[in-house]
Amino acid sequence: MRALYLAAALAAALHAETFLLRNVTVHPVSDPDIPNAAILVRDGRIADVGTRLAAPKGIRVIDGKGQHVFPGMINSATMIGLSEVGAVSAGNDVGEAGDFNPQLRPLIAVNPDSEHIPVTRANGITSVVTLPVSLTGTSGGGIIPGHASLLRLDGWTWEEMEINRAAAMVLQFPEVRLSINTPGELRPVRIPFLEARRTYESRLRDLTTFFENARRYQRARTAGDAQLRTDIRLEAMLPVLEGKVPVLLLAGNERAIREALAFGGREKLKVILGGVRDPGAAMAAIKAAGVPVILREPTDLPGREDDPYDHNYSLPARLHKEGIRFALGSFNNQFARNIGFQAAFAAAYGLPPQEALRSVTLSPATIWGQDDSLGSIEKGKWADLVLADGDILEPRTNVTQVFIHGRETGVESKHTRLYRRYLARP
Amino acid sequence: MILGQADSPPMKPLRIPPCARAALALLPFLGAAADPPALAVRNARIVTVTGPVLENGTLLVRNGLIEALGGNVPVPANAWVLDGAGLTVYPGLMDALSTLAAGADLPQPGAASPRNGPSAPSGATPARGPEDRPLTTSWIKAADTLQAADRNIDLFRQAGFTGAATFPTRGIFGGHGAVINLASAPAGKMVVEPSVGLYAALATGGAGSFPSSLMGSISYIRQIYADAAHYVAMKEAYAANARGRQRPAYDRALEGVLEARRLLLPGSRAVEIERSLRLAAELKVRAVLYGGHEAYRVTEPLKQSGMPILVSVKWPERDPNGDPDEVESLRQLRLRAQAPGSPAALAQAGVRFAFYSDGLQSPDQIKRGVRRAIENGLDETAALRAMTLAPAEIFGVADRLGSIEPGKIANLVIADGPLFAETTRIRYVVVDGVKYEPVQRENAR
Repeated sequence: MRALYLAAALAAALHAETFLLRNVTVHPVSDPDIPNAAILVRDGRIADVGTRLAAPKGIRVIDGKGQHVFPGMINSATMIGLSEVGAVSAGNDVGEAGDFNPQLRPLIAVNPDSEHIPVTRANGITSVVTLPVSLTGTSGGGIIPGHASLLRLDGWTWEEMEINRAAAMVLQFPEVRLSINTPGELRPVRIPFLEARRTYESRLRDLTTFFENARRYQRARTAGDAQLRTDIRLEAMLPVLEGKVPVLLLAGNERAIREALAFGGREKLKVILGGVRDPGAAMAAIKAAGVPVILREPTDLPGREDDPYDHNYSLPARLHKEGIRFALGSFNNQFARNIGFQAAFAAAYGLPPQEALRSVTLSPATIWGQDDSLGSIEKGKWADLVLADGDILEPRTNVTQVFIHGRETGVESKHTRLYRRYLARP
Repeated sequence: MILGQADSPPMKPLRIPPCARAALALLPFLGAAADPPALAVRNARIVTVTGPVLENGTLLVRNGLIEALGGNVPVPANAWVLDGAGLTVYPGLMDALSTLAAGADLPQPGAASPRNGPSAPSGATPARGPEDRPLTTSWIKAADTLQAADRNIDLFRQAGFTGAATFPTRGIFGGHGAVINLASAPAGKMVVEPSVGLYAALATGGAGSFPSSLMGSISYIRQIYADAAHYVAMKEAYAANARGRQRPAYDRALEGVLEARRLLLPGSRAVEIERSLRLAAELKVRAVLYGGHEAYRVTEPLKQSGMPILVSVKWPERDPNGDPDEVESLRQLRLRAQAPGSPAALAQAGVRFAFYSDGLQSPDQIKRGVRRAIENGLDETAALRAMTLAPAEIFGVADRLGSIEPGKIANLVIADGPLFAETTRIRYVVVDGVKYEPVQRENAR
């Protein structure tokens, strides 16, 4: 409740994105922690950080009352804004039909009034990557379901929320699928390996053909072919082929990872490997390729019955040990708010705590090409800040205020509304 | 695959030893005779199963029965005589649970779609509860639907199988099995015992059809037995005094269940074996379990129950249609390694068991399966018993089948070495006193 009163008090004093936040411990992530420090924010950006900052004349001063300030966290895989309630089809804008839809940029479909936004933000998450794929099911959305958009969790319209509408092109790398869920069938239908392999190979051929077509289109366009008919799908491929836009290659297990990396290498793509769950011996291949990784939630259950219970808990630590850069993504909406706690689990299982924090702040900012403006508390970066009464990765910590571009968003959400409502029940 | 043998006539041109050639000329009636002539095997090693092995004996078969055996048996002048030097005579092998020649599957209510479950005609009606008698054909009898023309009969016979307990196996209550002889004969002549037990499985139906869960299947079996008890009471009361009483409706599903002399229940994993033992005790039925792969873990409860178990020789293997890169679980690997040790464990514990083919289509695979059991500690005598006398005892036909004794049906295998050895060739198979010569594999290929 203290958080709510403070939020209310702060909201009343609000008029501009220029202020001095003082009497706080700053956790810049990029640098060692600074106790008894202050942060000067001017027009939504961090103007200065230090222990001996004087308040410029007339500036609003916010007393942090000894609390901690962290950079806003980034969740690298959600469907926030595209899907409200999975079971309500009207509220779902994911999984467009067709195998190849690189032209889709989910940002423009984001609902700025999604209840997921304040709920997620209240835990200190200020930016998310949203994907146009059905993350819960295994099907839907095809091979290239569209782009991944990076957005900040504040804004009246999707335009205001944009960080990068085309942060990466999503490619769900085809897999050998041995069981298929069919509507009306009680159990998944088993597919013999050879048949599944054939289906996989045919999908892989489709993918290769699509890339070939895109390259032919690229050549024709470069040559100024007057006959060329504009194809917005292939048009959307141009920045990808030029290496300007990375490809988020979704591949979970060892075989898929190997084949996805080989594909990325052949096509000379700028790869971000996503959805990694069970890399096994492909860890070396990931390291050799030098690509960053978006990991699934460390609290995912192990995939096989003989896997150790901490198979997924310790995966971030293993990646860190190999020197592989990674960030965490929820790959869901309803638990997107827990990404910090997921990082804490990784820290409990061998990942250095500083690295755990980095995996939801500076690492994703770097992976998504925003390390000049997001992910740490440094001069010149956006003032996406989280004020909390303890370590932001600890579930018992209360986030008391969230700033996005210096604007106090508060920590109100559907959860606090319901909390108050049922607290007041006679 | 051995080709072309299915059409081979039961009476092949015989290679007659010189001593019998004179007799041949005296048999002009042979082709027309309904019964085969007497058959004698001389100077052979005879493994009787019930008695001691005769190292150098003579066996006389007449009218389809074993007439005599011993060191000095007089051979009728008109008998076919086989020189058994270097050969061993065994009782014919029996597949203790088979679908061989069992006949066409009939539609059942609530059957799954053909794509997902056991083969069923499409358009089967969904069942809503036990009253629809889902997945039940308890009234059908393999003996009545027997397909004498099944090409596999000859295939199995060539491998030394002379008999099978063959069942309709679809659904929860598949139907009644029959013990048959693998003779090239009209269906009626193949049947040794028409109704030896009712095959049951804990099957589930298609989507939206009862039962679709294990507990649903078990509850259905319970309900059927409860219904059957009530049905009997109603019928008896009605038979005693029909006047003034409502006529109980005829229920073929219950009639079939009541007629069952044994109930075959599934039990492959240890938990399934214990479950079926409890179910059989609860239903107060004489049960025969089938499966047995994890029986090595539950030999004690099996022994105490006194129920026999049929052990599938289709040992668990890596799924040939699975992902070759998949890392298998310790549980799967353990079962695969230890299942072939179950027969030895059962033999040691004194549990009666018999082998069955469990869908293996090739007799070679069955023999390989038996050899694996032998390699895993089962002695050969016990293995032979599990394919001869034990199934005969389990299905109540040991007075006719399962061993070489005078008066029993003349089902024999005559081989040139130990029956389960890889190099051993089967020279003759005798079913109901009729001699068959297997096509040698080299020629067949």
